[in-house]
Amino acid sequence: MEFTLSRYRNVTVLVLVLAAQLFLLAYQIKSRQDVRSIRVWAVTGVMPLTRLLDFLHDNTVGLIKGYSGLMEVKDKNKDLQAEVAKLKMENNFLRTELATADRAKVLALFPSRLPSKSIAAHVTGRGSDSSKVVFVDRGSNDGVSKNLPVVTPDGVVGRITGVYPDYSQVVLITDINFAAGVISQKHRVHGTLKGQGNSVCTVDYIRNEEKVEVGEWLFTSGDDRIFPKGLPLGQVKLARAGKMFFQEVQLVPSGLQLGLEEVLILLEGVHQPIPDHAPPSASAKLLPPPPAEGSDGPDSARVIRGGVATTDADQVLDRYRRIGAAQGHAYGSGGGTPNFAIDPPPPRPPAAPPAPETPPQ
Amino acid sequence: MPDVATLPADQERDKEHEVRKVLGEDPKAAANRIAVFRYICVAVFLYLLAGFWALQIRDPDYYAELAEKNYIRSQPLPAPRGRILDRHGRIIVDNHSSFSLYLSRDNLKEDHLDAMCSALDLDCADLQERLRRYDRTRAKYEAINIKSDLTSAELSFIEAHGGQDNFPEMEVIQTFRRIYPRGGALAHVIGYTGEISEGELDSADFVRYKRGDIIGKTGIERQYNDVLMGVDGQRRVLVNNRNKILKVIDHKGAAAGRDVRLTLDLDLQAVAELAMTDRKGAVVALDPRTGEILAMVSRPTYDPNRFVGRIRAKDWSEIRDNLDYPMMNRAIQAQFAPGSTFKPIIAMAALEEGIIDDRTTATCTGGAMFYDRFFKCNLRSGHGYVGLNRALVHSCNIFFHNIGMKISIDKVAEYAELAGLGKRTGIDLPAESEGTVPSRRWKMRTQRQRWFSGETVSVVIGQGALTVTPLQLAHSIGGLIRAGEWHKPHLMLDPPPSLDPPRKANWSPENTSKVVNGMFGVVNQGGTARGAAIAGIEFCGKTGTAQLASNDLIRSRKLGLQLSDNAWFVGFAPRVNPEIVVVALYEHGEHGDRAAPIVRDVVKAYFDSKHRRPQTLIAAAGAAR
Repeated sequence: MEFTLSRYRNVTVLVLVLAAQLFLLAYQIKSRQDVRSIRVWAVTGVMPLTRLLDFLHDNTVGLIKGYSGLMEVKDKNKDLQAEVAKLKMENNFLRTELATADRAKVLALFPSRLPSKSIAAHVTGRGSDSSKVVFVDRGSNDGVSKNLPVVTPDGVVGRITGVYPDYSQVVLITDINFAAGVISQKHRVHGTLKGQGNSVCTVDYIRNEEKVEVGEWLFTSGDDRIFPKGLPLGQVKLARAGKMFFQEVQLVPSGLQLGLEEVLILLEGVHQPIPDHAPPSASAKLLPPPPAEGSDGPDSARVIRGGVATTDADQVLDRYRRIGAAQGHAYGSGGGTPNFAIDPPPPRPPAAPPAPETPPQ
Repeated sequence: MPDVATLPADQERDKEHEVRKVLGEDPKAAANRIAVFRYICVAVFLYLLAGFWALQIRDPDYYAELAEKNYIRSQPLPAPRGRILDRHGRIIVDNHSSFSLYLSRDNLKEDHLDAMCSALDLDCADLQERLRRYDRTRAKYEAINIKSDLTSAELSFIEAHGGQDNFPEMEVIQTFRRIYPRGGALAHVIGYTGEISEGELDSADFVRYKRGDIIGKTGIERQYNDVLMGVDGQRRVLVNNRNKILKVIDHKGAAAGRDVRLTLDLDLQAVAELAMTDRKGAVVALDPRTGEILAMVSRPTYDPNRFVGRIRAKDWSEIRDNLDYPMMNRAIQAQFAPGSTFKPIIAMAALEEGIIDDRTTATCTGGAMFYDRFFKCNLRSGHGYVGLNRALVHSCNIFFHNIGMKISIDKVAEYAELAGLGKRTGIDLPAESEGTVPSRRWKMRTQRQRWFSGETVSVVIGQGALTVTPLQLAHSIGGLIRAGEWHKPHLMLDPPPSLDPPRKANWSPENTSKVVNGMFGVVNQGGTARGAAIAGIEFCGKTGTAQLASNDLIRSRKLGLQLSDNAWFVGFAPRVNPEIVVVALYEHGEHGDRAAPIVRDVVKAYFDSKHRRPQTLIAAAGAAR
């Protein structure tokens, strides 16, 4: 036997390789996975190494930064002593801020406030800048599946697009392939958020007639059937009338504002009401609003009333209805002859929605 | 004889050969195996070469196209339909920017359909049937529209689930959606649009259109579809592996349809619409000098906005099964006996034929026997001694029954047809009805019976077999009050339609004045519509109460309102050189005077609007200065 194998070594190797390929192919088909097995194994194999490298990188950078910080503290020691009273007060304030900004602490508290069932995950690897994709250390073994939302207490981070046994791929909110349904906090305007491959996202399909304000918070609307309603997405940075019926709206995503270390994967999303006040940790810097541009095009004659598009015909009908009401005239019935030449009283403006309370920021 | 000396050597060789064979070292067998291996290699190379030949030389274009399709997408750019405006340029039907969902059959995965249908509230069986139909008739790369007028929630769902990861077959295309007036106003005149049906594709009228086209189905939308419909464009885009557009390669813009301006006046239309609220029937207002339709209303109505995109089966069955037939344009399709509104035409015929004159009178005692049958007048106590003017003012049946005794049915038919009854007016709307004008020939043709003179007595008061549509009545009275000059009714103002010259009968102006004066008295001299008088306007008219069944039948069968009389009123103003004629049909209104206020309001709106418009223009000019 040994003689035969050594004699036909090349053929044997070829047969073994082919058999292995056939076996793997059969396994791939049988397992019905969306992701190729070779990729699963590669990710499983490479990720621990990446994690180790990340760990070493973070610690080395931390050590160097710590050392340089210490040196700076030493250099400025004399100045600090002169302002000790003031610094004590500031120090107390900063300690409080640091305590609330402690991500691990906040993340530990966040799930108890969140009605959705979630699992904490650590970001272990990042894709290229253009792809806006990260990997987290939770996979199918932890109950993670495709399309689950990934959030932080500050807002939405992204959604799961690939699942491996111990790791998952997350496409970030800023990726060009990301989209989610949104609703505005003040006027309850619906739209669709899309990543642009940079630090801001756009919100599409908001008509020029609808009201969106710069600085207004946008939340998930639940319309996309991926993200439960009520998760903060970010603040509007830019909102102006567009030329093709729809506004240009840009948003600064809040979920990525304070870095990306720990995240939550929502295993079972639960819709929440849109809060009347801004999320507590909002800190986006906003530009002043740009000069408004008027809309044009064939849509300009159209009026939206109560979310319903109307034409001049509806307005003329409304005018005559008001004339009839003002003169107590029942159309087509006996009684006095109406005077249609008199302009009717103006229509009553629609009742404004109750203004949301503005909490101290 | 064998060579004995060579025998041991041969045996030695054979033996060695046997040993090598056992050990598998047979050079002959090895040579054979190598040869077989070479042949296999050659065959494999030949096979690969053939594939290479097919890919690179025989069908390179085909495979290049297939490969290109993975990256280059063709997207339709639907053209907006032209808008529909009233005579003053006010918008009746507009377009609204909207989004439609297209299904790319290139990327379609059958197992995605259920999930898509469930998420987007689509009828899956219907979608699969459409896909099968498209697969048979259309190229695979052509995307099909599976849902129009997507909501914000649907757009969010599609954008979030589109791309290679989830449903790569979904494509959102910006398109235009029709906005019709709310609440079914103008629905019957304007009509609605929808995707061309299989039946229409087979029809010669739609030979220019292709599957998937959105065409006008009824009303103006159908009548002027060629003018309103634009030409769709197309663009080719470069997409990445997730279907995201990277670059627009070429762009052939869509050509918008042309706007059409109708003769309708929204002021009059609005008043007519409001006057018919909660009533069944129709209103038609036209300018007798030109034939321009100023207002047209039919009730009950339907909301054409429900037809935008694809009407839901539930909504369609609700409309279809409604026994009041809301889709029917009663203004041009309802055929009812006109009642006494027919009397002015009989009066004119009798005057022109010399059957009556100023001295002709009759004595009305509330009823009389004609051809052995008792005919009641509308006033039980009787009108007394009546001439033509008084007979018109009080709508005395006995006076007109007397005319019926003297005039033949064929003469009645001749004048009725001359006035435009019993045939289509030719209005630029589809599916107009003809109505019926009875005559000897008509009865023989339809019932195989001869005409009885007693029947003429009923026809002269607008009963019997005579039926008209509201438009026919407005058209006929409009021509009568212009001494026999009928302009073809039409709705199109711009682009200007090619119109035939008016039909003329050259009736005597004196006779016309006699009839017009009688109709003036109906409103202004204590006649049957005295409550409809308008101060400062010489408003004339004629009431009509048309029975749908005899009073005995209504009482015996207890049918009540279902068979109560129809109320008609035809009015015009001013008395000299009339500018507007209005007809109101109020089904089951019981008496013509209940239809008169409808017409009065429309006529008042006409004159108020006419006087207000220059003032508005002056005020606007002043404000501009």
